Amino acid sequence: MFWRLLWQLLRASRGRLAVALVAVVAGAAVCSALVNLHLDAERKLTREFRTLGANVVVSPAREVGPGSDASLLDAATLDKIAAARAPEVVAAAPYLYVVARTADDRSLILAGTWLDEVRRMSSWWALQGDWIVSRDDLSRCLVGRAVARQFNLVPGRELLLRYAGRSVRLIVAGVVTVGGTEDNQVFVNLPVAQRLAGLDGRIGVVQMSVTGSAAQVENVARRLASALPGLDVRPIRQIADAEGQLLSRIRVLILATVVLILALTALCVLATMAALAIERRRDVGLMKALGGSMNRVVRLFLTEAAILGVIGGALGWVGGVFLSGWIGRSVFGSAISARAEVLPLTVALMFGVALAGALPLRLLGQVRPAEILRGE
Amino acid sequence: MFFRVVGESFARNPRRKLLMAAALVLGMAVATATLTVVLDVGDRLAREFRSLGANLLVTPQSDTLPLEIGGVDYRPVDEGAYLPESELGKLRTIFWRLNIVGFSPFLEVPVEFPVPQSGTRPATVSRPTLIGTWFEHNVPVPDGTTFTTGVRITHPWWRVSGRWPADGARECVVGVALAQRLGVKLGDTLALRARGADFSLQVNGVLSTGGPEDEAVVAPLGVAQSLAGRPGQFRRLLVSSLTKPEDEFARRDPAAMTPVEYDRWYCTPYISSIAYQIREVLPGVEARAIRRVAESEGHILTRVSGLMWLVTLAALLAATLAVGAASATTVLERSSEVGLMKALGASGWTISFFFMAEQILIAIVGGVIGFGLGVLLARFLGQSVFGVPPALRLILLPVILVMAALVALLGSLLPLRRAARLQPAPILRGE
Repeated sequence: MFWRLLWQLLRASRGRLAVALVAVVAGAAVCSALVNLHLDAERKLTREFRTLGANVVVSPAREVGPGSDASLLDAATLDKIAAARAPEVVAAAPYLYVVARTADDRSLILAGTWLDEVRRMSSWWALQGDWIVSRDDLSRCLVGRAVARQFNLVPGRELLLRYAGRSVRLIVAGVVTVGGTEDNQVFVNLPVAQRLAGLDGRIGVVQMSVTGSAAQVENVARRLASALPGLDVRPIRQIADAEGQLLSRIRVLILATVVLILALTALCVLATMAALAIERRRDVGLMKALGGSMNRVVRLFLTEAAILGVIGGALGWVGGVFLSGWIGRSVFGSAISARAEVLPLTVALMFGVALAGALPLRLLGQVRPAEILRGE
Repeated sequence: MFFRVVGESFARNPRRKLLMAAALVLGMAVATATLTVVLDVGDRLAREFRSLGANLLVTPQSDTLPLEIGGVDYRPVDEGAYLPESELGKLRTIFWRLNIVGFSPFLEVPVEFPVPQSGTRPATVSRPTLIGTWFEHNVPVPDGTTFTTGVRITHPWWRVSGRWPADGARECVVGVALAQRLGVKLGDTLALRARGADFSLQVNGVLSTGGPEDEAVVAPLGVAQSLAGRPGQFRRLLVSSLTKPEDEFARRDPAAMTPVEYDRWYCTPYISSIAYQIREVLPGVEARAIRRVAESEGHILTRVSGLMWLVTLAALLAATLAVGAASATTVLERSSEVGLMKALGASGWTISFFFMAEQILIAIVGGVIGFGLGVLLARFLGQSVFGVPPALRLILLPVILVMAALVALLGSLLPLRRAARLQPAPILRGE
């Protein structure tokens, strides 16, 4: 009898229920999309921050200025770093700096590195010409913009560099504009600089780009430090500090917005549900006139509201998956993965809101059927 | 007659109107709060990004190639070009002067430590450097004011245990790695030699930066200038400025723009236009964007504000639908009134007109209250996230009101059309 009544009730007021359902589904979609987004945003944003490049430096425990042999690491360190390389390490590149002289006896800084790895952690370098893609390309170099201007270099030109009686002839592959120290340097693959300096198998520092929150980066640095005794592994403070501060700001911003929107969206849905409940006065009056107990009548409408909340919440969750996927694709270029645990959360939220919205029904307890049926 | 009908409707059944108004107030509060925050978020985050430090590098135009590793110049002092310190106040006279958060001039001097320092190990440092800069310096601006700036503003990640040196005093801070190696402590006197002359500085603190400065002595600019024999000059200027992320327009060559485009470019705080304005006031310099900072900042700012806009859009959509639904419900439940009006001879148009007038009235009242509530929420949000409440934007009020009215009307349109088509008799019978 109860279920038959309920079925009739739902069928009879299809139009109104459909309208309320739209509100519930929209609210649920926004809520679940935002929760999804919030859970994923931090991971996505830490990845974005890797555009800042290297944030961890490995150097000899007592680093000294350039040019003194005592300050160099040996190649075995590289193997150890490679062995200890954590999945959080996006890219790692060794550097050896040599103060080389040009044909007309001017000084410049030659940086030997792994150019394929450098590319992965220096997305902000603007390149004119070609990048040196292979680590084994020993005949070509990349020059900074200031170097190119001073020595009139364009891609394809030749550059002769000397150091302590040795010399190397390099072809310029590309010109990089960085807006900093690197504009004044020439980049080659590591063996070229090692051979020129006569320092086979030695490197100066290793720069790494490590993804994760500030605490995770610290952790990776500590793990590396214990795997590499005698070496100094430290996060670059400029990047780490700023990144930590910015991330926490952005996280709080997103969280605060999400909580605000969640609360107000829930209240909007609540108001809609309350409107639906109040217009039921007439039905309640009729049922009471026919001898239905108040308890029973209220139970009927509460069930109706609950069904609305559950169906709306579930449909809204599906909508939210699409919504957050779309937001993720258009903002970060990769979809935000839908999380199953958001489904019960959304349904429970909408269930609660729908029931709370039906509360005005309790007021109907005082309603006297005759008045209502007369239309007052 | 019209006002009496509408007025009666409000007086007779205030509770129904209240619900519709409640939905409107809440929906419009969401809209106002999110819009206020999202309009402000770019500016706020740009300011937060200044914790990354300077985003513009100013160097002499006719310079030799700097021998820089990690941002420290190892050239001898008699090589290369210099810039005058006295001109720097002009930076606060450019069009976007208020966007210049701070700037620090730098002058590096190679030094030696002649006497082995206390401790077991003799000093074996090959090429230590003394970096001269401003810590907290009052710069006179040509318009008569002063501007306080220095590394404490442009390099917020520098930390000193001890005291920052006073500008002009013969004091210094020693990088943490160098201090460890030399065995220098706070309060010691550091003897050093530059260009054949001996010099002593009081050690005020130990500096930790996580960068190459950890290996150097950092002293006030005046000290470095007298050591280098270059009074009033410096080599390099780092400028920290608030900028707008670069877009397609910003990447175009200003020389190839039409006058209108040029004005637009000049009056937008792109990093390229600020660099251009710096070149205008400081002759003979080259100002470049530090791409590592500028590009990442633009990238992340674009992402975050894009995210906030989409979240706002989603919130607006949800608020709209919820308000529309509430509006539709209030109209639906009044079909008996529609029937009565029809029976009394009102046309479909007249009835729609009455209802819409009512809805718009509620929308305006709800919209105004919602706007007020939303402004309060936005203030709270801005205060708790950034410590600064967002600017009140009254321009949002008409936008919100129009939105409220549109939503309320759209929500009631469909049920009204259906109601207009109904026959009065069955409705009045209660069917």
